[in-house]
Formats: sequence, C-alpha cells, structure tokens
Amino acid sequence: MSRITKSKTIKIDESVLLCKNGCGFYGYPAWKGYCSKCWREVFSKESQQHDAAKQKRGVQPFGRRQSPQPAPVDAFSKFEEKKKVQSEKRKQTVRSIFKKSPQNTLQEPMAEKSVRKVSAEIQQIGEEFADFLKSLRKPEAALDASKQLKYFIEKIQGMPDSPVEDLSESVVNFYQSLSDRIHSKSIYKGLSQESVDLLMDYAEKYLLIRLYRVLFCPLTTDDEDKDLAIQTRIRSLHWINVHLLDAQIDEQQGNVAELIEKAITSIIEMDTMKAPQQKLECIVRCSKSIFECLRVSKGAPASADEFLPALIYVVLKANPPFLQSNIQFITRFANPNRLMSGEAGYYFTNLCCVVSFIENLNADSLSMPQDEFDRYMSGEAVPHDPTKQYSCEGLRLMHQNLSSLGELRSQLECLMAEALQLQQDNVDFKENFKREIGAVMLRTPLVLKPRKVKVNIDEEEDSDVSSRLPPPLMPEVVGVGGILSQPMISCNTQSSDFNESNNNGHSPDPVEFGEFSSHDNPL
Amino acid sequence: MASSGGHTFKVVLLGEGAVGKTSLLLRFVENKFNDKHLTTLQASFLNKKMNIGGKRVNLAIWDTAGQERFHALGPIYYRDSNGAVLVYDITDEDSFLKVKNWVKELRKMLGNEISLCIVGNKVDLENDRHISVQDAESYAASVGARHYHTSAKLNKGIEEMFLDLSKSMLEQSNTHSAASGGSSAPGSRGGSTRRQVVTIVDDDDRPERRGCCSSS
Repeated sequence: MSRITKSKTIKIDESVLLCKNGCGFYGYPAWKGYCSKCWREVFSKESQQHDAAKQKRGVQPFGRRQSPQPAPVDAFSKFEEKKKVQSEKRKQTVRSIFKKSPQNTLQEPMAEKSVRKVSAEIQQIGEEFADFLKSLRKPEAALDASKQLKYFIEKIQGMPDSPVEDLSESVVNFYQSLSDRIHSKSIYKGLSQESVDLLMDYAEKYLLIRLYRVLFCPLTTDDEDKDLAIQTRIRSLHWINVHLLDAQIDEQQGNVAELIEKAITSIIEMDTMKAPQQKLECIVRCSKSIFECLRVSKGAPASADEFLPALIYVVLKANPPFLQSNIQFITRFANPNRLMSGEAGYYFTNLCCVVSFIENLNADSLSMPQDEFDRYMSGEAVPHDPTKQYSCEGLRLMHQNLSSLGELRSQLECLMAEALQLQQDNVDFKENFKREIGAVMLRTPLVLKPRKVKVNIDEEEDSDVSSRLPPPLMPEVVGVGGILSQPMISCNTQSSDFNESNNNGHSPDPVEFGEFSSHDNPL
Repeated sequence: MASSGGHTFKVVLLGEGAVGKTSLLLRFVENKFNDKHLTTLQASFLNKKMNIGGKRVNLAIWDTAGQERFHALGPIYYRDSNGAVLVYDITDEDSFLKVKNWVKELRKMLGNEISLCIVGNKVDLENDRHISVQDAESYAASVGARHYHTSAKLNKGIEEMFLDLSKSMLEQSNTHSAASGGSSAPGSRGGSTRRQVVTIVDDDDRPERRGCCSSS
C-alpha cells in the first residue's frame, strides 16, 4: 500500500490528494476527493436537499412514506391477516416502481418487466376482443373500432402525469364519442343493439385492462393513502359485531356462515380483477350472497334496510385490499351508464355508502355512549355478543361438525333402512319369480310337445325334402299365387315367370311413346 | 341503458325505516309479475318496465336504508336520480318530518331536475292518522311535489303514483334534452354530463352537510 501511495505522490501534486475541504486530511477518489469525515457531512447535506426537492414536487421519498405503516402493523399484528401483508408488500413494489422511476436511470428495464408480467391478461382480452370483432362480420367497422381504441390508448399513455380528473374525463368522453360514432357512421349500420352494447362493453374492457397500470391508483392522487387509511380504520373496528349494526344475520342458522364467507371472498376478489365490469361482478356476487343469507335468516326478501348493515358487516370482516382505489377506479373510468341505473350500479353505490359510513363511524352511528365506544376502540373491552355462544371459532366449528355428523348418521340410518328394504324386495322378487316360473311350468308343459314335433320335422327334412320343406317358405310363395306344395325349385321358376310377365307388362310403354311421337311429328 | 330504445329513469325510495317502502316496492312490481315470478331474492333494487303514451320507460327503483344512522349516506344514493319517492307513514309524525328533511336536501342538491312524489302510506290505518291530508297536500304543493295516499296492504294508489311519476320524469327529460339541444342520444349524453356536475357538487357538499347533520 505504502509503495503505491509513494508512487502516486511522485506523479500527482499533493494538493490533489488532500481533502477538497482543505481540512488537512487526505482525500479519496471514491469520496469525490473528500476525506471520510468531510464526505459524510457533504453527503448528508446533499441527500437532504434531494429529499426537499422531491417533496416540493409532491413525491415523498419511499422510505419516509413507509415509516408510519409498521406501527399499526405491530400494534394489530394479532389481527393482521395474511392478505394484508401481501397487499402491503405488493404496494411497496408497486410504489417503488412508480415512485423511483422519475429519478432512477434503471426505470426502463423495471417498467418493461412489469409490462411483461401483465401482458398475459392483455393478450387474453385482446384475443377475445379480436374474436368478437371477427364475429361481427363487418371488417370496416372492426378496423375502425380497433383503430379508435389504439389511438386513444396511445393518447392516454402519452399523458401519464396529467391529473386523474382529466384522464377520467377523456375516458368518459371516449365512450361517448365511440358510441356516437357507432350510431352515426355508416360502416356500423346493420349491427343489432345487442352487438353494439357488446362492442362498447369489449371496448371498455380492453381499454381499461390495457391502461390498468396507468389508471389504477395513479401517482397523482392520494388513493393509496386512502387505501391505507380505510384499511387501518377497518382493522381498528374489528370488534363490531352483527348486533351493533342491527344486521339481521343469524350465523347460527343453516348455511348463513358459509354464505357470509362466500360474500367475503367475492368482495376480496374484486381487487384481482382488472376491468370495471369484472370488479362490479364481484360486488354483485357478494351482494347476492348477502341477500341469500338474509333470506335464510329472515325468511323474506330483504330490503335496503337490512342489506346495508349486512354489507357493512361483510366489508368490515373482509377488509378488502385497495378498497378505495378500486372504488375510485370504477367511479372514474367505468362507463357512466353502467353505474347510473343498473343493478350493478346499485350495489356499487351501496358499497360506496358502506365506505363512507365506515369512515365516519362514531359512537352515535352505533347508538352507544361515547366512552363505551372509546373503550372498544382502544381494545380495553370487547362487546358482548348474545348469539355468540362460542367464544372460540374452533368450538363453533366443532358444533357445526357435530351437527353435520348427526345429519350424516340419520342419513346413513335412512340409507340402511332402504338397503334392507331393497334386500327384502330382492328376496321377495326372487320368490315371486320362482313361484311364477313354477306356475308357468305347470300351466304349459305342453309347450314342449310341439317342439318335439318340430325336431321331428327337421329330422324328416333330411330324409324327405319335397314333402316337408315348403311350410317355412310359405310367405314367399303366397305372393305369386297359391302354389303351396311346390318345392323350392319350382318357386324359383315361378318367380322368373313373374319377372317375364312383368317385362311383358312394361312392354306396351315404348309402344305408347312411339304413338305419341308419331302424333307429335305431323304437328 | 338509454340506448336500448326507451328511457331509463332512476328512482330512489326514501323514507324512515318501517314506513313501508319495501312493501310498496314489492306491491308495485308484484302487480305486473304474477306470484310465481316473485321469487325475488331481494326487494331493494327492482326494475319495472312501463309504457307511457306509447313510450317505453324503464324504472330502476333503488331502495335506500331508512335508519337514522344512515341518513348521511343519502347523497350517495340519490345522485343522478331522475325521481324520488318520499314515503311517510300517516300514523307517524316523525316520518313526515323526515320527509321534509329529505325534500330540503334533494332540492338543494339536485334542484328542480328531480321529480318528487310524497307518499302517505298505510291509509288502511286511517283511524290512527296523525298527519292531516290538508297539511300534507299543502306542504307537497309548496315544494313542487305531488302528494299521494297509498296502501301497500290494500294495493291502493301505488300504480297510479308510479305512473304519474314516470310521466313527470318523461316531461322533465324532454325539456332537459330540448334545453341542452339534445342530439341522437339525449339520455346518455345528459346522463354523462350531469354525472360530472353532480359529482363536483357532491364532493364540495359532503363534508359540509355531514357537519351540519352531526351537530343537529
């Protein structure tokens, strides 16, 4: 080492080797010519400026933004479900891709990778769309529609940083202009209303799946913060039960617990879907399960008075990932017609109501005193649930299993009885059969005699063919005309005679034709 | 969708819990469908097709949760709606006060674009009446709404009420599209532009309204 420095001192002036700060210590190229101490100082100052600049642009540094997150995670680690961890992990990766990219030179390969990841889905919808366009049998219309879409997608991709309101407006305007185009342009003439609706539907699906990365939870909004806020909020409301909400769900009854489970799965699934239609389908599925379970609990079709509390309960139990982002995505980019009046729109509106209710939930909305509410919120107490006989999920499951086992047993007994009955029937049948056969045997012993006679005939056939053979051939011969006792050979001759006579019968025809032609000629 | 030939109207059903909104709704839809078709899983969102003066009208009727605790969610339900049916129980004064609140709110949020029907339900309990016919009718007239008496139990006045509401919404939409120079697809165009306007109003108004609500 010393030798190297020595050789360097020979070549380079000492001032270059010294710290740039002029503190007297030696500098080092890796520290940009500073000594270790000065470098540390300079570096920290620089990174602070960097952060400040980033904050000015409204982009918070990645690490800082994450820091508030671990606290609630730790505090509620017990209630932390796996999915939340996963969703947060995902969020981190998503965020790192988005947030770092403006400054990071590595952005391009990363972005490419992420595009490649979702491309399977895009490809699938692309193929579906292409198949649909082909099925229209209108090549010009198909070409025009796909051109419009392509152009619009490029346009949106070209403006990733514009405010989300603008994006939303242009997407909605695009639906409108596409719809106007379909209704006014001649190349689309002749399409049935059904195919027009389908075309619009596919266009929307394709467009939003293609642009999902840009439009879902965009950088320019605080959707992500809202997602985290509602998630934390729901987590802190874990103690709310069916009775506090007046939801008429009787989880002890029938398959209600199962239906609730189904509803929860459906609402969580919403985030895995890309197109608003698919997301709405999940909401509809969830709502249908809830209605089913209310019908089981109540025995009558449920109204909104019962549905809304039940949906609140399901959302609280499910804590769906990216809830706000999903709602915002649907509100901003789904075809407004869909949300205005359809059934899906109704359920979606209810979901919006649920979110708003959860955000603003207080002691009043549960009609309980403030201090009680505070105690539950702080985790000091857990509200009493009168129908929950089992404090432990395992016991409830055991009870459920026991009852289903009992059911199985009774079914088995029923089956056994039936099997015995069947056995008895079998035996009876056998007896009956035997008896019948015996009776028949007794009644018809004579049947055997004609058979013996027949056998005799066969034997005689060999010896005397001409006298005994004809009877079996009778039907063939009858047509020709009563020659019953003739042997086989004579039959054949007879049939050939018949053929000849047929020919004779036909013979007049040519003569007739001849006559006609002779008549025709003079004319 | 408006493009499917006829008009589609969104109608919200507002009213306190237990005034009979749901029975009203079920009764209305049940009339058209016979009993065996009413295997309805739910009675909160129902579609009803009607024919008014040769025009096909599709009513999408949205039931809303009537409990006091959900009152603040009203704006989310009734945004973009063309009509509202405000139901009160003639034997229950509170429910009538509630209707007055709704009317005030609706007029504030949606202006005169929305057709209102005030409905006094349970006229079969005439003996227990607490809201006088005159009061109710004069109030309705003062806010530009029509007033009806119905009974879901006796199936009285319901069909008529929805019919009149549809007519009024049809008129409303015609004047609206005429005013905006409605083109080939007046329904959907009007809808999409209105949607944006209302969204803005709603965003501005929501915290403020909630504030006043929680203070009262």
